[in-house]
Amino acid sequence: MRRGLVREHSLGPVFVALFLICLVGQAIAGHADYNSEQVTDGLPPVSLGTYLMSASFAVDVAENWQSEYLQFFLFIVLTVWLLQKGSPESKPLDRPGRESDAEQHVGAHARQDSPAWAKRYGWRQAVYSNSLGITMGTIFLLSWLAQSVAGTAAFNEQQLRQRQDPVTWSQYLTEPDFWNRTLQNWQSEMLAVASMVLLSIFLRQRGSPESKPVGTPHQTTGVEG
Amino acid sequence: MRGSSLLLVVLLLLTACAPTPTDHAAADTASRLSNAVRDGDGAAACAALAPDTRESVERSAGEPCAAAVTDAGLPPPAPVREVRVHGQWAQVVTGNDTVFLGAFGSGWRVVAAGCRSRGERPYDCVVAGD
Repeated sequence: MRRGLVREHSLGPVFVALFLICLVGQAIAGHADYNSEQVTDGLPPVSLGTYLMSASFAVDVAENWQSEYLQFFLFIVLTVWLLQKGSPESKPLDRPGRESDAEQHVGAHARQDSPAWAKRYGWRQAVYSNSLGITMGTIFLLSWLAQSVAGTAAFNEQQLRQRQDPVTWSQYLTEPDFWNRTLQNWQSEMLAVASMVLLSIFLRQRGSPESKPVGTPHQTTGVEG
Repeated sequence: MRGSSLLLVVLLLLTACAPTPTDHAAADTASRLSNAVRDGDGAAACAALAPDTRESVERSAGEPCAAAVTDAGLPPPAPVREVRVHGQWAQVVTGNDTVFLGAFGSGWRVVAAGCRSRGERPYDCVVAGD
């Protein structure tokens, strides 16, 4: 019973644990990097606690979060309408769009065990029908906002190091630093999605739901293993 | 999940805005330097400088810091107009010059003083570390 519980709930917790391990690793490496700059500038090293409260750490974390949530937001929303023949990441070619209430089990077509707001009508059904995209999109926007605020402070710290004037938040939004941090993350996320969508047409990972079954033809679309 | 993410974002925002140490202390250190130079108190002026800046003053003048700093040509004291603190660095703008400071365990120390703006390029300073 207990073993079954762990087996049935292993994917999410494993990724949460990997996230925390990586975040700790980033904090340790970032702290060492920050302190090497401090020494170069003739300033004393700072404690790990001070570094964790710094804008430098905050912007490094936030810039990666925003791009990941943007990636999933776009993937979730665009795959409603956009298709890719042969890809398990695409819906079947004859089902683009938001689909009928019967196919989505909402309103009058809701099942006994459907979520409560799927059985409702009006704004509740509309909100719940888009709740995954809304949540991912909201976290993306908040993370991007956090990146811009922390990025302003981190950029200004660099400006003062180099004996230059700090900038305001609105000025920072026009700085190359902000767009370089933003776009370098966006390009890698878009490449990863494009690779996943296209490579999974021809390549297989036996047993993975992200792949088609090994023997499934390349042309078959919307089938996961 | 969403709630904890929001909390972290709020913490990030607060972190980005939190100045340490205080603006007031940075302005005090900048004033201490210019007042000491005006009074001819080289020892007090050097005590307000960061170690690298002190070394640089001695090296360029070829004499001890206390003697060199009073002859360096720093402008006289003037009211503080603006203080900006970002992380381990601060900028104090007075009526006569701009001063850059770094955070040390014992408080702020002047890294560069007598600085004049050169637009997009780094400030030109009378006294500065390497």
